[in-house]
Amino acid sequence: MGAAGSKLEKALGDQFPEGERYFGLENFGNTCYCNSVLQALYFCVPFREQLLEYYSSNKSTGDAEENLLTCLADLFTQISSQKKKTGVIAPKRFVQRLKKQNELFRSYMHQDAHEFLNFLLNELVDILEKEAQAAKSDQETSPPEKMVNGPKNAQANGSHKDPLVTWVHKNFQGILTNETRCLRCETVTARDETFFDLSLDIEQNSSITSCLKNFSSTETLNAEDKFFCDKCCSLQEAQKRMKIKKPPHILVIHLKRFKYIEQLGRYKKLSYRVVFPLELKLSNTVEDAESEYSLFAVVVHVGSGPNHGHYVSLVKSHNHWLFFDDENVEMIDESAVQTFFGSAQEYSSNTDHGYILFYESLGTSNKS
Amino acid sequence: MFNNGYNNNSRNGLNSMSSTSSSTTTTTQTTSSSSSSSAATTNSQTQSLIKAYFKTPEGRYKLHSEKTRPPNLLPYSYAKSISQVTVAQLKDKPSQPALTPSFSTTGVRSAAARLLGGNGGKALSFVGGSGYSKTSNGSSRSSHFGGSNGTHYTNSSSHGGKGFFLVFNVGDTVYISDLNSPDKDPIKSLHFSNSNPVCHAFDSEAKDGHDLLIGLSSGDIYSVSLRQQLQDSGKKLVGAQHYNKEGSVSSSRCTSIVWVPKGNGVFVAAHADGNLYVYEKSKDSAAESSFPVIKDHTQFSVSHSRSSKSNPISRWHICQGSVNSIAYSPDGTYLATVGRDGYLRVFDYSKEQLIFGGKSYYGALLCCAWSPDEKYILTGGEEDLVTVWSMEDRKVVAWGEGHNSWVSGVAFDSYWSPPSSDDTEENIVYRFGSVGQDTKLLLWDLPMDEIVVPLRRSSLGGSPTFSTGSQSSHWDSTCPVGTLQPAPSMRDVPKLSPLVAHCVHSEPLSGLVFTEEAILTASWEGHVKIWKRPGEPESKSNSESLVGASSKDQPLMGKGYTESLKSKPLAESKSNNSKTLLGASSKDQQSLTSKGGVFNFKEMSKSTRLGYLP
Repeated sequence: MGAAGSKLEKALGDQFPEGERYFGLENFGNTCYCNSVLQALYFCVPFREQLLEYYSSNKSTGDAEENLLTCLADLFTQISSQKKKTGVIAPKRFVQRLKKQNELFRSYMHQDAHEFLNFLLNELVDILEKEAQAAKSDQETSPPEKMVNGPKNAQANGSHKDPLVTWVHKNFQGILTNETRCLRCETVTARDETFFDLSLDIEQNSSITSCLKNFSSTETLNAEDKFFCDKCCSLQEAQKRMKIKKPPHILVIHLKRFKYIEQLGRYKKLSYRVVFPLELKLSNTVEDAESEYSLFAVVVHVGSGPNHGHYVSLVKSHNHWLFFDDENVEMIDESAVQTFFGSAQEYSSNTDHGYILFYESLGTSNKS
Repeated sequence: MFNNGYNNNSRNGLNSMSSTSSSTTTTTQTTSSSSSSSAATTNSQTQSLIKAYFKTPEGRYKLHSEKTRPPNLLPYSYAKSISQVTVAQLKDKPSQPALTPSFSTTGVRSAAARLLGGNGGKALSFVGGSGYSKTSNGSSRSSHFGGSNGTHYTNSSSHGGKGFFLVFNVGDTVYISDLNSPDKDPIKSLHFSNSNPVCHAFDSEAKDGHDLLIGLSSGDIYSVSLRQQLQDSGKKLVGAQHYNKEGSVSSSRCTSIVWVPKGNGVFVAAHADGNLYVYEKSKDSAAESSFPVIKDHTQFSVSHSRSSKSNPISRWHICQGSVNSIAYSPDGTYLATVGRDGYLRVFDYSKEQLIFGGKSYYGALLCCAWSPDEKYILTGGEEDLVTVWSMEDRKVVAWGEGHNSWVSGVAFDSYWSPPSSDDTEENIVYRFGSVGQDTKLLLWDLPMDEIVVPLRRSSLGGSPTFSTGSQSSHWDSTCPVGTLQPAPSMRDVPKLSPLVAHCVHSEPLSGLVFTEEAILTASWEGHVKIWKRPGEPESKSNSESLVGASSKDQPLMGKGYTESLKSKPLAESKSNNSKTLLGASSKDQQSLTSKGGVFNFKEMSKSTRLGYLP
């Protein structure tokens, strides 16, 4: 592994980015789903910086009890403070903590990278919210700070838990608006929802652009799936459409490659070729946001089925693409990213498929 | 709190097995039209077939024939590179002693006839009006293209003369097919041992023998005489000139290669390192030029070779990242390039100056093409759009929305003429086509009066953000000469909808070519389909109603794009294609029946493999 590290250093030569560390993560048996996501998050630079900043500023307040947030921050600190530029690190404490906390998670069949990412981000938010709550009640029993902007009705009914905008939210949270138009009275009901990622249905030989379009395409609610219109006070046919009201800074796109097949009673992996550009704009936004996103990480599922397989990740760091496979880190050419699009034909020998895509917004021009 | 409401589980529902999977496994055995598509149609509940025709206002385009690589290639050998297709026309050259050495055409014929068992004269000439078929002598034409193992290639005697040929690369081989023959298999294969051929170009006006250029993934370039290759029985290039040997000038992949129109043997090769190299085929290819180090990779620069004798004669550094495609305007005045950085650049070739450039909506641009009158340029790219650029205004004038994936090939149809009705001379209509990684061929009309007034929008995206009302400064002025324009805003560019969208192959497409008689579509893995243009309007023949009947059983494709057809009477094709039509319809039936059986079996076998996660 040390040799592999030096190989990477040789490959980068004097282009090795100042202060950057490229460390593989040891696999503790089936923890590649975790390693691949951790690498993507580590190279999500605003997230990493804010995590480390948060951690260093809160460290002084004494020994907080260990949680996933502290474990993650520990791990990231450990990587970034390595003397060597490359190598391998064992994310032992993090994985132990995850497993401890994770019984619910494990009781399901998923060892799914997307589930893990979801769980982790939610957990971080919960911890941050709890801490904020505790800090508030320590100081005084004044009402907690309200969210500056964003969804008013998203969690309006949970009055005891006013949404707090944490740095996790600032990075990953976007707002979707779900517009439903009653076909009888033409009233449009808009409901906002927050999201940390977009889960997209995929089709064979399509693009992310096309999947995003389908995501926001108009759907008619009828027959058994009618809409209860408040104005008509009855079930009515309606048209529904999902649009992005506030694009997130970090856009996480999850491709629904694991599809539940009713006839089989189980999941099947869709190996479809879904091309994803290195730059992307969202066109399904409420306003003409048109801010450009740049791809910086891809979590790849390797394998032909949902039940077995492997996760690796591709990461862009300082204009170089790196390939992380547990302990191993290699440099790859940008053009190699397209070998992870999927298979144009089913039953192909290529089983490495992009599964979670991480895009970072380049412009801040159209931020509300 | 996340991922609850917007997972959209309910939206598309759970597609049934039959809609989410395809039965395409045996493409090495069958061609895509009979082996079914992998159906990228939205929410289709039925397995879609690739229809053997598609309708346009002027009539039906029908699948006339297919060309493909030999059936016995293993996937690893063709999955390595993307197949491109070039149409080559060999004109009648009665006396070319240098090119027809001691190789007797009778010898070939007899060899072919021996292998064939004597029916060497059954070649069906179809491409009418080309002059070629009329002069062909049936008895002298062989349609034998190698044995069943696909390793022997004999060449047909008529190929020493003239005709239309297809040149396409698959894996480490360049194949040549006779466009006029109904046979699928190539008549010639040229094998490259060290690197894969990835692009090629043909110049039918070439003065001396060398008319075919081949660019390799290693950066190497060859020029050869197509005629000479066809007359040789080997699998290696003969009489080739070798440029950029072992990548001595540029070791990065050759991405695109073109002859300079009226350039007297000058050609340009684009490379993945962002450079173009200009060569003169007459110059010594052994002595290779060296060029200074590029100081600023973001800046356009041209360096000329110091020696007047060596190749390449100049290097153009275009951009950071790959140059993906280049195209000369028909008279050779302008050179258009598109690349990884998402910019179209148009140069004055002789002045070596940038005229203008512009950015894609987002992502890389993959292909480009000129209108026959040099007024418009098409580009296609990773934002799934076909972009129409105006030379006069030096900016984007329209976006074609209709592909569901990256656009890999664009071309104007220079043979198409607008319906000669009461159209005024002002409203010049251009026809163009595009192919994409969504397996579709799209045809578009570009009516000039509608370009000024943005109107057409697809009903599917019915979003108020794309409202056509607000015109920003994008339309107020032409862009200054010599500048690169940023991407326009979505609402500022008029949208075009395709006239036709047709799934033509079961795999991503790489390119299209318009010929006088047909549209050619090429897929990544080396399948080429030839879609014959509609003939003169005529009453329906028996064979056509037969196809009509059989095609009724097929599910509709193309998401109702056909609805957008203007209500003009559909022209039907005449001519001698009852044979083809019957062939096509029986193919469809065959695929229908075979699909049922194979398909179920596969799903069964797949289901046994599935299990739960540990």
